[in-house]
Amino acid sequence: MDSYDDKGENPAPPPGRPPSPPPGPSRGIAGLSFPYQVVAALALAVVALVAVVHVAMVFLHVAPDNTVSKRYGEQVGDWVFPEFEQNWKLFAPNPLQQNVAVEVRAEISKADGSRHTTGWINLSAEDGAAIRGNPLPSHVDQNELRRGWDFYVNSHDDKARPNGLRGQLSESYIRRIAMLRLESHDLGGPVDRFQLRSATRLVEAPPWSEEKTNTKPAYRVFPWWTVTPDDLSEGVRNHGGGTEASG
Amino acid sequence: MSHVAGPVGPARPDHESPLGRKAALALQHVTARALGPHQSAVVRIGFAAAWLLFLLRELPNRRELYGPGSPWSWDLAQQLIAGNGAFTTLMWSDSGFWFEIVYAVAVLSSALLMLGWRTRTMSVLFMVGVLSLQNRSIFMGDGGDNVIHLMAIYLVLTRCGQVWSLDARREARAARVVASGGKAPVDRVGPVLWAVLGVGLLGTLLDSPGGEWWVTTLLWTLWLSQGLWWAVNRYAPRSEPRALLDVIANLAHNGALVVIMVEVCLIYATAGWYKVQGSRWQDGTALYYPLHLDYFAPWPALSDILASSGVIVLLLTYGTVIVQVAFPFTVFNRRIKNVLLVAMILEHAGIAVLLGLPFFSLAMIAADAVFLPTAFLLWVGATATRGRQRLTARSAYEDAGDAGAGAAKGEHGDGDGGGGTVPDQRRKDAGADTPLVR
Repeated sequence: MDSYDDKGENPAPPPGRPPSPPPGPSRGIAGLSFPYQVVAALALAVVALVAVVHVAMVFLHVAPDNTVSKRYGEQVGDWVFPEFEQNWKLFAPNPLQQNVAVEVRAEISKADGSRHTTGWINLSAEDGAAIRGNPLPSHVDQNELRRGWDFYVNSHDDKARPNGLRGQLSESYIRRIAMLRLESHDLGGPVDRFQLRSATRLVEAPPWSEEKTNTKPAYRVFPWWTVTPDDLSEGVRNHGGGTEASG
Repeated sequence: MSHVAGPVGPARPDHESPLGRKAALALQHVTARALGPHQSAVVRIGFAAAWLLFLLRELPNRRELYGPGSPWSWDLAQQLIAGNGAFTTLMWSDSGFWFEIVYAVAVLSSALLMLGWRTRTMSVLFMVGVLSLQNRSIFMGDGGDNVIHLMAIYLVLTRCGQVWSLDARREARAARVVASGGKAPVDRVGPVLWAVLGVGLLGTLLDSPGGEWWVTTLLWTLWLSQGLWWAVNRYAPRSEPRALLDVIANLAHNGALVVIMVEVCLIYATAGWYKVQGSRWQDGTALYYPLHLDYFAPWPALSDILASSGVIVLLLTYGTVIVQVAFPFTVFNRRIKNVLLVAMILEHAGIAVLLGLPFFSLAMIAADAVFLPTAFLLWVGATATRGRQRLTARSAYEDAGDAGAGAAKGEHGDGDGGGGTVPDQRRKDAGADTPLVR
């Protein structure tokens, strides 16, 4: 019976607030006896401290390098990585102004023992075709190769040498992506070796602009890789049959 | 029916100074209630829906993205995770069967979190699902995944099922039964769920490489406090420990809600302030470029139309920057904030279509929703209820049922004493770099 006068104990019964009080007593800190108030105050201190520190760490993480973040870079990184990592410099300071296409060609062993090198196959164009006209593009088409390639390029130096573990991982990854993608092509035999290149084309300046853009692609060619079992994801058999294994 | 535990004094003894009195009021305010019940509910529904729809859309590709068929193989993932300590249950085993279980739990928990069934528990499962899948294949994600990742963690600490949830409906029904002199129904599902999840939690003990210590601690703390909350509600519903747990849960909720709001402001602030420095954003052509990227051009003809007018591109380019830079400062002014909110939600809707990023856009709209005014949310809720009543009214002719009985009233959902957590430790890893406009 006395349950509904719990509200009267609140010094500030917020008038007209939507939620009705919970079935149990919702007393707030004022409705607690002193020892319990101490615990509640402690909880408040912990919550406030964690919230403030967290916000500060995230702020330092997203802010430009500055006096504080340089000095405490390690602590900020320890706090933020890996679960709170974030990057909102999207299309900033400038949007991406080039289309990067990843292309592959393969050396095939034919049934008669001869070898044959395919032409360049534009894997990014295949992604683009899967995205076009699709209201719900898949991460498989939009992110897999695109981000995999970024990862590869960013963890290698100009001479395509890997920098550390990330470099090695990214190479395994891009090789497996390439072989996965070649699986759906009818190449006439298994792939012995393959080679990747990137073709970077600048987006042409808008028609109203006076800027001149050179839209000729700039190619960057990478070394040949011999196919190993590690390059084959589950379901990739590298029979060169193509069509039946697609998907 | 009397208070079991002692002295429930009338408010704090009067504070002489008005400042002290104000502080006492504020203190009571943040300890007595979980603020923004509708806002937290709409954020919950939005993120659960975004992730659920994404998982359903990727159902045919799930094994290539996160499973045994991925070019980012289990071994590669393990080597990366051994370095950065990201949490993922998918590292507990490389079996395809385990993967299917995790994916199914992720789908199921997002659906149930959206509906608000056992909200707190589902929010934890939701977080586990999001972290497990995303951390398994970090390079498959983009900015949308990044927001969902952050919010999945924050949501765990909120009481986001107070309204618009099956929990709220169940509690309202139980309250009605009690009010009419009946006995409150006994909760059988809760303990069973708790026991099952306790067994699942044992996995964190086997998990040799994965997860920072705070994630594991958070999971165990939540599990224990759920048990405690249940026990206290059952055996001492009017006791002081119950009131204390309620206060702690309110504090955690309010703290998490503030963090969510600051996070949204930080997203817009960084997106905006870095753009100000860019020459393309200055000369007013920036928006033209993403519309011409092959990876973000599902409707090239539509993109061309929009990009054909230099003036429109200029207005949208400047408008984007102005809104993003201004937003964090306008949260203190209701009217301007609401105008900007509408602009941002519309822009995200445009991005969903034009750049082919529907799930990213949905996630960003869900994040924006934390700033929607209560009056508007109430109106949406009332409209939805009316719509449903109209739909159910027809069948009600026959069975004279109580159409629209549960216009979800504000009640506390599952709560618990899960206090703050202290994230910490570990190395860096590939984040969600991404080419999005925001």
